[in-house]
Amino acid sequence: MTPIGFVALIIGVPALILLGYVLITGSTGLRRYILTRIVLTLPMVIILGSLVFLVMRVVPGDPVQSALGPKGTPEMVQRIREQLGLNDPMIVQYGKFLVQMFTLRFGNSLIGGHRPIIDEMSERFPATLELITPASILALVLGIFGGAMAASHRKGAVDYVWRIYAVVIYSLPIFWLGLMLQLLFGVKLSWLPISGRIDPIIGTTLVHRTNIYTIDAIISGNWAALYSVLEHLILPTFTLGLILSGIFVRLTRINVIETLAMDYISAARARGIRERVLVYGHALKNALIPVITLIGLQVAILLAGAVLTETVFSWPGMGSYLVERISARDYTAVQSVIVVFALLVAMISLAVDVIYSLVDPRVRY
Amino acid sequence: MDNIGEHPPEITPPTETWEVELQKVSIVRRILNSRKWYGADWWFVAVSSVLVVIFIIIAIFPSLFAPYDPSALVGPSFLAPGAYPPVPELIVSNTSSANSLKDLAVTSDQPRPTISVVQGGNSAGALNDAAKEIDNQIKNESGGLRLRPVIDRYATVEEALQAVVDGKDTAAVVGSDEFVRLKAQYPTLREGESIAGGAKTAGGFLLGTNDIGQDVWSRLLWGTRVALIIGFSSSLLSLIIGVPLGLMAAFIGGSFDRLMSLLMDSMYAFPGLILAIAITAVLGPSVINVIVAIAVLYIPTYYRMVRGQTLAVKEDVYVEAARSIGARSREILQRYIFPNVIPSVAIIFSVNVADAILTGAGLAFLGLGLPPTIPDWGIDLARGQRFIQNAWWLITFPGLTILLVVLAFTLMGEGLMEIFNPKLRER
Repeated sequence: MTPIGFVALIIGVPALILLGYVLITGSTGLRRYILTRIVLTLPMVIILGSLVFLVMRVVPGDPVQSALGPKGTPEMVQRIREQLGLNDPMIVQYGKFLVQMFTLRFGNSLIGGHRPIIDEMSERFPATLELITPASILALVLGIFGGAMAASHRKGAVDYVWRIYAVVIYSLPIFWLGLMLQLLFGVKLSWLPISGRIDPIIGTTLVHRTNIYTIDAIISGNWAALYSVLEHLILPTFTLGLILSGIFVRLTRINVIETLAMDYISAARARGIRERVLVYGHALKNALIPVITLIGLQVAILLAGAVLTETVFSWPGMGSYLVERISARDYTAVQSVIVVFALLVAMISLAVDVIYSLVDPRVRY
Repeated sequence: MDNIGEHPPEITPPTETWEVELQKVSIVRRILNSRKWYGADWWFVAVSSVLVVIFIIIAIFPSLFAPYDPSALVGPSFLAPGAYPPVPELIVSNTSSANSLKDLAVTSDQPRPTISVVQGGNSAGALNDAAKEIDNQIKNESGGLRLRPVIDRYATVEEALQAVVDGKDTAAVVGSDEFVRLKAQYPTLREGESIAGGAKTAGGFLLGTNDIGQDVWSRLLWGTRVALIIGFSSSLLSLIIGVPLGLMAAFIGGSFDRLMSLLMDSMYAFPGLILAIAITAVLGPSVINVIVAIAVLYIPTYYRMVRGQTLAVKEDVYVEAARSIGARSREILQRYIFPNVIPSVAIIFSVNVADAILTGAGLAFLGLGLPPTIPDWGIDLARGQRFIQNAWWLITFPGLTILLVVLAFTLMGEGLMEIFNPKLRER
């Protein structure tokens, strides 16, 4: 089984089990909502795909000519255009493109060994997954904690510190944050490695099953590799996580403040419940419901941030793959990566909506 | 009110006191008064606006502030911030009668003087400049004398000095501090005058120099120009496209509205940087292409806001009333919708400029979009990353500048938002 198959198993199976469970045990309203939402994902995927198609084909400039550079003779350009189907009528190209997108058959790379792009991605995608998962968790924990803290000390010093944190983080170029962390912890203090996913020597001892190195190391019980992997993960995770956390601090703060103004909180306060319990026990739980949907909208920032983070830390994920292939002018690979990003956006937004409907009964009318 | 004349006479509203009062509350007045309403936010706007103005002035006249040409190789490479470049001086043999460069000039039938320098330092540049200057002077003064030194480059100071001892070179040009350090080893050599060309860089390098000897501070100042050009033009372009689209969608409605909204929402959900990467990858590197790529990203922001606000205002009772007494669409737009939408557009514009500068820097950092000859912060950061082990200043200062510019624009937008949008002030 290919590594990408393993990854699909790890993410897909629990998701399908959860979905099946919800569909079987859920109320009619919930069931209808989730099914509608799944059906609605299809147009979203098609629109996002069409957007990619539009950008890659309709925008002036010949991708094949630019891939071959000045060396490309007209005959070579013609041959490759023929091979890629770029000479077909636009509507045929569009149809083929959509089929490719849904079957994930992206064809072969234009450069190097002309490997199938899906194979190359199955090496790169798990790396991105391994980066964005801990980064999102870090951002959530920091954001929710900070936001709730700021809201409970409203207009006090703590509130201002968190607000300034959120604004500064928002204005921080993510790649620069990465560089500064590298400079401080990698170069000046020499605590942490500044690039790659694993020490190259230890890396040779690791059996690659899923290409998610943490999981590979745990499965094979290779603790030295696990240590090396985690060590390499720290700086990229903090870079991406900190940048995302700024928005979460803001969203949580606003929502907790609004919730704290509600009647049931006043009632609880009148009953003599301590302020700490009030904020973290009563208000936060309800304030987080809208935050979940807004998290869905931050996927864009997460993925864009991942591209820059991967480049800074030479992290061999989808983002650095995209950048590498753009410099190499590998047109099919670039298009495929962007399509995969589009699919990812659609899937995550579906997942967020489903989770939202489970948490907030008002959605499934 | 210049459109009053277009009303049929019977429905011309009389200029009553309440209307005069209403007109007084202009945008400028609201900003000035806002200090009383919302406390500290007025200062937010004031401080960040001053910063923004300073950055704009620097962007328009970078040459007034920058001590050097941003792409000229003006100093030794990797000079740390605040460190002074060594003053290059002439080193000659004790037996030589020459004391300055000028004394080395010869007539055209004699062999040209050879001068040894160290590679990578500022000596060679200073020597070249000084020699050219002296040549121009003596051309008119005395007959036949020319100074056209042959420059020999060596890897170390020791090698350069040894060449003079051995008589291979007529003289050496090295940093004065280096000669002082090695004086004991070369008793047969003595110091001549310092090289005039060195005076050009005697001002030092505030933020150090980069790998090829360019001044980091001058590059920072010049980088403001391209950053602000990208920020302003792309935001303006998306405003010009996004605002009318939003208005049209809200006014026409129906399937046009639904189609546009679907497209815009999808674009909004898609990671902007990745879309910009795709567009610049197809278009190729140039400033214009970067502007277009970034502008595409922010069209949905304007579209969504304008459409939402227009729909909300359109439903309001006073607009209904205006429509029922026969006001035309154009008038409704001018009198009711624009005043509601324009402040929000201004706020979004300010925040957008900040965002566009960030995205532009990100693209440049990835090596996309901008041609590498342009002094730009993102390009400098990408170049500096290669020297992270020994030159911290190359990656610290450009990033700090981006942070400062983006912060100024963001705070200005946020401050304006709190002033214009009282509903949000509790947040």
